[in-house]
Amino acid sequence: MTYKDELLEKLRRNTRKQYPMPDTPINGISYDDTIKQFVEMSKSVGSNVVMAKPGENLDDIVRNAYPEAKTIASNIAELTIATINPDTVAEAKDLNGTDVGVVCGQIGVAENGCVWIPQDMKEKAVCFISEYLVIVLPKSGIVNNMHEAYDRIRMPKTGLGTFISGPSKTADIEQALVMGAQAARGVTVVIREE
Amino acid sequence: MSTLHSEAARRFNDNREKTTWHDATFWSLRQKRDNMASGLPEWEELREHASQIKQHTITHLADYLEEFSAQLESRGVIVHWAKDANDFNNIVLDILQSHGVRKMVKSKSMLTEECAMNPFLERHGIDVVETDLGERILQLLHQKPSHIVMPAIHLKREEVGRMFEEKGISTEKGNDDPTYLTQCARKHLRNQFMEAGAGMTGCNFGVAKTGDIVVCTNEGNADMTTSMPKLHLVAMGIEKIVPDYKSLAVFQRLLCRSATGQPTTAYTSHFRQARPGAEMHVILVDNGRSDILANDEHWETLKCIRCGACMNTCPVYRRSGGYSYTYFIPGPIGINLGMLHDASRYNDNVSACTLCLSCDNVCPAKVNPGSQVYMWRQKLDSLHKANTMKKCMSKGMEELFDHPQLYSSALRLAPLANLIPEGLTHIRTLNPWGVAHAMPNFAKESFQTMWKKGKLKKQ
Amino acid sequence: MKIGLFIPCYVDALYPEVGVATYKLLTSLGLDVTYPLKQTCCGQPMANAGFEKMATDIVRHFDDIFREFDYVVAPSASCAAFVKLYHPRLAKGNHECLTSKKIMDVVEFLHDVVKPTSLKAHFPHIVSVHNSCHGVRELHLSSPSERQEPLFNKIIDLLKLVDGITIREPERKDECCGFGGMFSIEEPDVSKRMGEDKIERHMATGAEYITGPDSSCLMHMQGIAKKENKPIKFIHVVEILAAGL
Repeated sequence: MTYKDELLEKLRRNTRKQYPMPDTPINGISYDDTIKQFVEMSKSVGSNVVMAKPGENLDDIVRNAYPEAKTIASNIAELTIATINPDTVAEAKDLNGTDVGVVCGQIGVAENGCVWIPQDMKEKAVCFISEYLVIVLPKSGIVNNMHEAYDRIRMPKTGLGTFISGPSKTADIEQALVMGAQAARGVTVVIREE
Repeated sequence: MSTLHSEAARRFNDNREKTTWHDATFWSLRQKRDNMASGLPEWEELREHASQIKQHTITHLADYLEEFSAQLESRGVIVHWAKDANDFNNIVLDILQSHGVRKMVKSKSMLTEECAMNPFLERHGIDVVETDLGERILQLLHQKPSHIVMPAIHLKREEVGRMFEEKGISTEKGNDDPTYLTQCARKHLRNQFMEAGAGMTGCNFGVAKTGDIVVCTNEGNADMTTSMPKLHLVAMGIEKIVPDYKSLAVFQRLLCRSATGQPTTAYTSHFRQARPGAEMHVILVDNGRSDILANDEHWETLKCIRCGACMNTCPVYRRSGGYSYTYFIPGPIGINLGMLHDASRYNDNVSACTLCLSCDNVCPAKVNPGSQVYMWRQKLDSLHKANTMKKCMSKGMEELFDHPQLYSSALRLAPLANLIPEGLTHIRTLNPWGVAHAMPNFAKESFQTMWKKGKLKKQ
Repeated sequence: MKIGLFIPCYVDALYPEVGVATYKLLTSLGLDVTYPLKQTCCGQPMANAGFEKMATDIVRHFDDIFREFDYVVAPSASCAAFVKLYHPRLAKGNHECLTSKKIMDVVEFLHDVVKPTSLKAHFPHIVSVHNSCHGVRELHLSSPSERQEPLFNKIIDLLKLVDGITIREPERKDECCGFGGMFSIEEPDVSKRMGEDKIERHMATGAEYITGPDSSCLMHMQGIAKKENKPIKFIHVVEILAAGL
């Protein structure tokens, strides 16, 4: 008998009274202008926001945002200026030294400025190891709150995904807020009409 | 009359300036939390929901654990079941040794602290590298966390700067600017991530229905930990289960707002399986949690999501610091968890509470740590840990208040106490009240005496 | 409406003027008030110290002498809260606890039951309101600062009926003063620091008086203020409401 069986038996034995799940749904906060709230919140968590013009080329958007970037990592087909592809690198560490990583977001959350990124690439390191991160988000993916986000979330085949809200940050030394602790030093969210 | 907590608190308060700073720092976190809470009209509703979801989950835990582990196993994740700390440490060591791992990076986990995993692995030749900046600083200084969310908050930048220089992590002499030091740590840790053979994370939430492990960080260090090495280990207490995404949304919204006063952590990462070409192990740890479930008065401590809000609001924690508590988790929830872990060993923290109940009101999962301290105090006598002086005083009061005649006589005689010279009433050991206070004066005539004499007239 | 007046032990011995003010105020409002002579204490001091079992007989005694009244009114939020919330637990298995449903702090009683629209009181001073923990978080005399609920404060509502008064609240309006019963002698250093911080914030409002519904908190702060020669005075809320009677 593994401890699993012993534990489950013990938990059942030690449960005194069983409680039901709450049956009323939560009315999460909603905003008159969800897009505007998302943009404001994104800025307040440290992201840059770019509203793409209709038909604007993704290469140009990334170039404009990070003109100095040399190594650009992405598996997005339409991004032709990418120099390295997280789907084809041999190891995650091959992505070290990436200046800008470009990934697709699915859902943007207005209440907290985070974006759901289905990590369908072979090496998800691209989302974290890059000095700067560009997240391309369809405007229709912007929702009010986390309740709505978790209702719509798409988990890719890899079984991995993350909500990212602005750059990596820490306040571990004397509560002083510093951007770029371990992962991206800066994040640009590109909002596009489909 | 003193406890280990009160003695340590006394030493802490010897440095008045540092106490002021510590109190102000954590009060500002409480204020940030208040700002976040007031921004959501549904805040109290969320707390109530969170409490009910946890009550439900904890009282159906066996079912949810079965569902959760089956989900993980269906996607090739290896699930382990650890009875106690020893069990847990050995499982981790086995996994690492069978993969020939010499170095493991890890993100923050209170559970590994609880199990004293790092020293155990180090004794067996494994190099464990903490990657949360605060935890890394403490590891290099050989110190313990003083807070569960901001572990190194008690340190000043000069201390960090000096240590970084000594360890060769920073190069600019005397530069203790937090931005500079953080950049140095970034470089230092980047190498660690690339060299490590395994990465361990904790787990904020385990979703039963889908088998997601959810980890929240601000630095992204849990993500680096799981993106580089090809072996991912998850240390997870069995109480971390939530039923589904709907429930998860409630906790995700509460956790960071309560903890640091941010609308969310920078990263909320989901791991349902190992990344391509890698391997993932989840170690579910009991270590006494299944016993807590049977404790009628304290089982709801299992609802705790380790946000630390109770510490930030606690007026005693803010003015005594994390190290004055004898259990590794300080503050209101730590008092309770320590007692549940080993009441005969950690009862010195039970004194660290005025019963102000602020913690009961900030807790996002409606654990009522303050009210539970009252319950623990009732138990100390049976554990033979009650303070003799307090017991004597209570005994005296019982005698007095059980006998109205005696009470009346005492009231008449009480003013005589005013005649005792202050020198006699202000000896610390005999009268700790005199440490801070001038003695109050007994009234010449008590209310009762006035009433008996008919001195009170209707208006 | 018959009202039983409960004057908690330490108010009785140290602050009888608070009891007197309560009696005067209630009778001035035309209420029928009696003080049952055999009363002693509510049992809170030993219970908070960890010896609630020693209070079992006190709880029964309390219920015996006060059960005949429609309301039991006490000028002490903390004691009223103890009777209301803890007596049923201590009476369990022994006797039915009737008084826990009848007990009210005097502020609560005036605000919720008597609802006076005017008072004769005149008090031309600046006061800083001490929202004591058990008043706030157990009796809900005001909205706790931790909670997201509409703001209210029954103490301030009543004080507003007093002529000439200026009412202030300190920063951190309901942070604990550090009394906590036996806490103050078991953890004297933290208790002292909390008291000092609290007094400082009250004084920063420019107040001449610190006032509150709990003489215990006031006693703690007064003891510290006196020892450290701080120029601030202390007065129970009910003494202000009864000023001039």
